[in-house]
Amino acid sequence: MTPLLSVEHLTGGYGRRTVVRDVSFTVERGELCALLGLNGCGKSTLLKSVCGLLPIREGRCAVDGEDCTHLHERQRALRMAYIPQRATPIAGRTVLDVVLMGFNARLHLFETPGRGRRQLAAETLGQLGLADMAELDYAELSEGQKQLVILARTLVQDAPVMLMDEPDSALDFVNRNMVLERIRSILKSQNRGGLITLHDPNFALAYCDRLLLMKDGAIIGQVAPGEIAPEEIGAALSLIYGPVRVLRHPGGFVMVRAAAEER
Amino acid sequence: MERRAEHHQKLAAAAFAAAGVLLLAAALGSCCVGKYPISLEEIWRILTGGAVKDMTRNAFFTLRLSRTAMAVLSGAGLGLAGAVYQIIFKNPLASPDIIGIASGANLGAAVAIVAVSGTMASVAVGAFAGGLLAVAMVMLLVHATRSLSTSTYVLAGIIISAVANALIMALKYCADSDSELAAIEYWTMGSLAAVTAEKVRTILPFWVLGFGGLLLFRRQVGLLSLNEEECRMLGVRLRPIRRTILTLSTLLVASVVSVTGLISFTGLIAPHIARVILRRQNTQTMVLSALVGAVVLLAADILARSLYAAELPLSILTTVIGVPVLLWFLCRRGGDAA
Repeated sequence: MTPLLSVEHLTGGYGRRTVVRDVSFTVERGELCALLGLNGCGKSTLLKSVCGLLPIREGRCAVDGEDCTHLHERQRALRMAYIPQRATPIAGRTVLDVVLMGFNARLHLFETPGRGRRQLAAETLGQLGLADMAELDYAELSEGQKQLVILARTLVQDAPVMLMDEPDSALDFVNRNMVLERIRSILKSQNRGGLITLHDPNFALAYCDRLLLMKDGAIIGQVAPGEIAPEEIGAALSLIYGPVRVLRHPGGFVMVRAAAEER
Repeated sequence: MERRAEHHQKLAAAAFAAAGVLLLAAALGSCCVGKYPISLEEIWRILTGGAVKDMTRNAFFTLRLSRTAMAVLSGAGLGLAGAVYQIIFKNPLASPDIIGIASGANLGAAVAIVAVSGTMASVAVGAFAGGLLAVAMVMLLVHATRSLSTSTYVLAGIIISAVANALIMALKYCADSDSELAAIEYWTMGSLAAVTAEKVRTILPFWVLGFGGLLLFRRQVGLLSLNEEECRMLGVRLRPIRRTILTLSTLLVASVVSVTGLISFTGLIAPHIARVILRRQNTQTMVLSALVGAVVLLAADILARSLYAAELPLSILTTVIGVPVLLWFLCRRGGDAA
C-alpha cells in the first residue's frame, strides 16, 4: 500500500545554501511522527521543503503516491496543511474569522463560508477549549491561545497530511498535553497523517508513534517507542541529545539526562 | 460571546446608518451649494417633475449632479482602495500611492500638458495611462526579482515613483513657466471643478470594475494580510491573486485620479477612521471606509466652492477635514482603552 506521505531523497535549502540533504521517510495514515533535532539542524527547513514553500533541489515528495512538486497552492492546500513556527500577528479579525480562513482551499474564489462551515469552525474551537472566544479580537488572545486558534484553522482545512512546526511552543503543560492528545486522536479517528517538530522529546515519546531523528540536515535514525526496549530508545536519542537515559514508567517512557558518572 | 457579537453587530449597524445619513446629507448639500445656489425645495421640485426655472434645472443637471456623483465615486474609490492597500501591505501608512500609481498618473498628466495638447481629455487619458503603466512597471520589476514578499512591491513602488518624479522634474524644467508649469502644479492639488457628466460616464465602467472586483475578492484581500507562507499554505495562489487585486485597485484609483487630479489623504485617512470606529479590519471596514471617503470628499468639495470667491484645491480641504476627524477618533479610542 502506498504511504500517505512519502519523501524520497529530498535535498533543499535557502538559495544556494543546502540545509537538508538526501532525506527519505514516510508517514502512514493515522500515524503521528515527531521530527526531533537540536536548534538549526534543519527541521523547519525540511517541513517547508515538504510543503513546497522552499524549492526542492533534488528528490520528490508525494501524497498518496501523487508527486506534489508541481502542484499550485490551492491543490497543495487540499493535500497538506501547515502550522508555521510563528503565525502572522493578525489585527482586527475575530477568532472565528481566523479559523474560517482555513476553509479557503475548499471555497470558490468569491464564496464566503456558509452556516455549516461557521458551525464547524465554532465546534472545532470548542474542542480546543476556546468556545467562548469565537467573537473576541484575535490580537487580544495570549500567545498560547493564538496557537490553539491556528491549530483550529489547520484542522478545518481538512487536509490528509498535517505538517506542524512546534505548534505547542507557547503552550503551558496542561494545554500542551491537551493539544497533542487532540492532534493524535484526530489523526487516528480521521485517518490523517501528521509530522510534528517538537523540542521536548518527552512529549514526542508520550504522543508520537514514531520519532525521526535529525542531525545536520539528515535523518540519522528512527525510533518507534512502542516496539523496542528503553535502552535502545535511549541509545538512539543519545545520537542527538548526548548522554541520556530513557526510563519506563506506567504511562510510557521519560528521557532524562544521564547521571554525571555515566557521561 | 453572544453578547460581544451582538454588541459588535449593533455598533456596526449604527456606524453604517450614521455614515449613510451623513452621505445623503452631504450629497444633498453638494447639490445645493455653489456659485448658483439651488435650494432643497427646488431640488425636490426637479426630482418630482415640478416647475422650476430652466436655469436652475440646467445648473442641477449639468453641474451639480455630475459633480456630486464624481465626489461620491472619488471618495468611495479612494477609501476602498486605501483600506485594501493597508490590509494587503500590512502597513497602516499604505495608501494607493505606495506602488507608484500617484507618481505615474502625475507623470502622465505632465506629459499630456507639456508634450501633447494639454486639453482636459488628453490630461485625463495621460493620467489614467500613466497610473496603469507605473503599476505595470512595478509588477514587472517584482516579477524580475522572482520575490514573493510584499515588501518587494513597496521597494519597487519607491523605485518607480522616484523615476517618475525625476521625469516630472525634467518636464517641469522644460515647461513654459506661465501656463504649463501652473497646470502641472494645479493638477497635483486635485479639483472637481471641471467634472462633466461625460467624464463621469467615461470613467464609470473602470470604476465599477475596480470597486466591484475588490468587493468580490474581499476574502482574498483578508487572506493576503497573512504572511506569504501562511497565505500560500491556506491555498491562496499568491502571484495571480495579488496581481489581480492590485490591478483592480489600480483601475479604481486611476479612474478617479484621471478626472480629479491628485487628492491627498482621503485614501489614507478613510480606512483609519473606519477601523477606529469598527475596531475590525475586515470586509465591513472596507465598505465603511468607502462611505467615509465619500463623505470626506463631499464635505471637502462643498468647502472648496464656498469658502472663497475662487475655488480652492481639493487636497487642501481633504487634509483640513481629515486630520481633525482622525485625531478625534484616535483620542476617543485612547480614552476607551484606558
